[in-house]
Amino acid sequence: MTTLAVLLPLALALLAAPAALLAGVLRPGLAAWVGAVFALLAFGTTLWAWLSGGGVVDVAWVPSWDVRFEVALDGLATLYALLATGIGFAVLVYSSRYLPLHLEHQERPASDGNGFYFFVLLFMGSMVGLAVAQDLVLIFVFWDLTAVASYFLIGFDRQDPDSRASALMALLVTGVTAVLLLIGALLLYAAHGTFSVPELVERVGPGPLLTVSGGLISISGLAKSAQVPLHFWLPRAMAAPTPVSAYLHSAAMVAAGVLLIGRVYPLLQESEFLLDFLLVVGLFSMAVGGALALTRDVLKQLLAYSTIAQYGLVVAMYGLGGPYGAGGAAFYVLAHAIAKSALFLTAGAVTEATGGDRLSRLGGLGRRMTLLATSSGLAAATLVSLPLTVGFFADEFFFASVLERGPQFVVLAVMGTAMTFAYAWRFWAGIFLGERRTDPRSIPRLLVAPVVVLGVIGLLGGLFTRPFEVLAEAAGLASFGEATPLDASYHAEILPEYLMALGTYALGVVLIVSRSLWTPAALAVSRLGKAIGPERLYRLGVHGLNALSDAVHRLEIQNLRARIAFVLMPTAVLVGAGVLVTPMRGAYRVGALRADEAPLMLAMLAVAVAAVTTTLVRRHVTLALVLSGSGFVLAVVYAFHGAPNVVLVAVLVETMLTLLLVATFRLIPYRVLHRQAGLPPVRMTRKVLVSVAAGAFTFVVVWGALSQPPAGESVAEEHVRLTPDAHAKNVVTATLADFRGLDTLGEITVVALVLLGVGTLIGASPARETVGVPQPAARAVMRGIARLLYLPTFVVAAAVLVKGFVQTGDGFSAGMIAALGVVLRYMAFGHENAKNLPAARHAVAFSFAGLLVALGVAAAPLFLGEPVLTHFPRAGTEPVHLGTVEVMTAVLFDLGVFFLVFGFAVGLVKFFARTISQREAADPETLPREGEA
Amino acid sequence: MTVYSALIVAVVFASGTFLLLQRDLTRVVVGIILVSNSAVLFIISAGLSRGVAPILPLEGEGASDPLVQAMALTALVIGFGVAALLLAMVYRLYATHGTVDLEEIAAAELREAKALEREDDPEREEVPEAEQDPGEGTG
Repeated sequence: MTTLAVLLPLALALLAAPAALLAGVLRPGLAAWVGAVFALLAFGTTLWAWLSGGGVVDVAWVPSWDVRFEVALDGLATLYALLATGIGFAVLVYSSRYLPLHLEHQERPASDGNGFYFFVLLFMGSMVGLAVAQDLVLIFVFWDLTAVASYFLIGFDRQDPDSRASALMALLVTGVTAVLLLIGALLLYAAHGTFSVPELVERVGPGPLLTVSGGLISISGLAKSAQVPLHFWLPRAMAAPTPVSAYLHSAAMVAAGVLLIGRVYPLLQESEFLLDFLLVVGLFSMAVGGALALTRDVLKQLLAYSTIAQYGLVVAMYGLGGPYGAGGAAFYVLAHAIAKSALFLTAGAVTEATGGDRLSRLGGLGRRMTLLATSSGLAAATLVSLPLTVGFFADEFFFASVLERGPQFVVLAVMGTAMTFAYAWRFWAGIFLGERRTDPRSIPRLLVAPVVVLGVIGLLGGLFTRPFEVLAEAAGLASFGEATPLDASYHAEILPEYLMALGTYALGVVLIVSRSLWTPAALAVSRLGKAIGPERLYRLGVHGLNALSDAVHRLEIQNLRARIAFVLMPTAVLVGAGVLVTPMRGAYRVGALRADEAPLMLAMLAVAVAAVTTTLVRRHVTLALVLSGSGFVLAVVYAFHGAPNVVLVAVLVETMLTLLLVATFRLIPYRVLHRQAGLPPVRMTRKVLVSVAAGAFTFVVVWGALSQPPAGESVAEEHVRLTPDAHAKNVVTATLADFRGLDTLGEITVVALVLLGVGTLIGASPARETVGVPQPAARAVMRGIARLLYLPTFVVAAAVLVKGFVQTGDGFSAGMIAALGVVLRYMAFGHENAKNLPAARHAVAFSFAGLLVALGVAAAPLFLGEPVLTHFPRAGTEPVHLGTVEVMTAVLFDLGVFFLVFGFAVGLVKFFARTISQREAADPETLPREGEA
Repeated sequence: MTVYSALIVAVVFASGTFLLLQRDLTRVVVGIILVSNSAVLFIISAGLSRGVAPILPLEGEGASDPLVQAMALTALVIGFGVAALLLAMVYRLYATHGTVDLEEIAAAELREAKALEREDDPEREEVPEAEQDPGEGTG
């Protein structure tokens, strides 16, 4: 039961994103509603789970690193999970009407909304995960997940460069500081051997280690909560669509920072220094955020700076400590989330109705939009903590905690909350009071309804405070370690807190009426911040990194060979050192020469001569022919080494390679190649010297390696012994498909990726395909042969594949042989004709189907509790016979390889042939004439 | 035989290195093919035994080392894949720059990089007007 209590809300929250995406793919309008239903379900289950006592799940995740999947639904987790899902629900309902309008303004297709809902819900899921996580590594994972989601949401208007830069800024500031969280966690782990927060709380005592690690963790939390001096990303993040801003500021992202502080607060409060640090940062953020919010003209900018100030207040409460600090902070977050999300949604609705997003162009909308004005008035009242709203008590607790600290803090607190009063009035009165400047259009009801609901909750919370009280007390208990009784009720006597509240209202009114007096000063602060503030430092840093990267890039493309030398030279030095320290005695053996080895030696000599010749020839076609000659003679060498499988593959590979080389030389105009061939030799001595040195080096290393005597029983002998167990006779094929199947798996993955690479490089734009030029009639004989051989090649391929386990051959050579039939058709009929062959049309599909089959055969044993690539039937059991063919999974694996290689080879030829045909059609003059190249 | 095999591998490798140092990209690709050929030859030569093909039943005589053959097969296939990719890349470079000369392509890329830098980047300095208060508020 307790397991379910914590896992059910988490699972629902995490499943919401993929579910909404799926729904959106089926019907774009559905995504928001499916997401909203999931959010509501997650909200409901969270509430149910908490009321039924919560729960803990603690299982090993990465046991070797002591990382655990430890989640618990305590008061703090419940509070933030309810916020994330509850506000998430409101935001989703709002978005279902807002986003289509937004996409319409941006001239983007409605299907772009799917990504929006996916990331909003991913945001929600990772916030719930972050709320329940108790293991610092798990916290880090969800922490970064929120950063990723916020990146895509802030940059949702991706066509706008400002939007992209803002998204990057948010990601960099919160992502780089997230590393500090990880470092802090590792420091604590190194000293105390656990990542679990509850266990750390028991083990950690005050000391420099706690101060350092707690400080690092706090910094990452403060950056996420946009506290000065790392606040500058938040106003920029207003580039996001309005519902995202509402969510980001109230229940996600920014709330995540104080959630982290609340989670590790039992550790932080061990250190006086850390508490003072939080207090100073919080008060400073209140001052800066409040002052700047008073100067802003754009609605969302004003609200953004107000968020900085309000979270500054929360951080300051944590810094003040005590039961009112820790419990009150949770209460404040709750009240603030309700008010701030409602105000953001108001801003969105107003902008949607009037097209204006600045206070200076708005006004007097109260008469025309009464419901919106009333509801957002309630929200603003909650924010400025007027009596009868839940915000009133939020401020009471703040005042109560500063009263314990001393009069100077009382003054600062009143000044801070008075600024809140002033800018909240500015916001609300600027929109709804005064002279009307625009004529609002009617807007969908669902843009107003969430504001109404949130505003009413703010009011009800002030009248029936018990639920908020209980929730915040539970959250305070989780942070503070002992009960934090919060008394949210109205008293008839005059409490000092009430006097402070009165002072706040009075000072707020003074600020409002004396606006023209302090505006220049506030603007000056704003300008000063622009000129020397942290945002400028950030920009300088990003510019510097960009410049550095550009410089390195320039260096690299300026002199490619020097770059390669930088890689190769250290390798050479290291290998050379290895050669030098190896004792010379007995390390090099000349080896016996036998008379019957003369043919082999002759073939090897031919390989060497052909290789040297490639360095001397000038014409490119000669080069291709000499290279392929060298390759074919190499196949003969392999034959002398008793390696028929290798011979088969080498011959096939060499054939294809020669074709591709000639095709490339045909694609590149003759004059270009000819100019290269005609270039005068430059620095020839140096090149020859370098090559000779490389050759000498290779000689020493290879000689030394070949001279090593075998040590004990070789792996080869073991493979030979095991081959009958694999139901095979050909040891090499058994090795490829069974003993070293993982190598083959890696190899074929590379092959499939190469096909994709070639397809991307030269296979693009099939739309440009045109009718090919007429083919010369002289190809009639070749066409006949191609037709004649087309089917037999498949038969041979099938035979090679099936017989591979008892005779020479394997999936690879079978695939190549089958491809040759198609290649022959291409050569005889040209691309225009051959492209319609089924094999050619679906080459890439063939290839990836083969990869899928091979991967499936490799992975299937995992589900049976066996290691990867276990083949069936097992050793010693008799395989099922299908006629004379034995049914074995190893053959199925080889079949996958066959399809992959077949698709690969056909695909390569298709891409090259298509490019040739396109060029021929586009500009026949640039191509070499027959017989000229 | 040992020293002879080493010599042949070294000669093929040296020829490949020489081609790698050329300006002509097609020759560079040929050089890489030669280097991978020399590697396969080395792997095959490193077999501990040389005899008949390792296909059962082995009647008395010693068979060739099957392990190096399997490795050589893998190396051959990957070498082929790399060569195909490089050839496609060479053509692509020709199609964009009109040349297969390494130095001309490097010069062209350098020019492009400089042109890109001159373009406006989104991280530019100025403050969006939206953030500034016009001075006459409504509050």
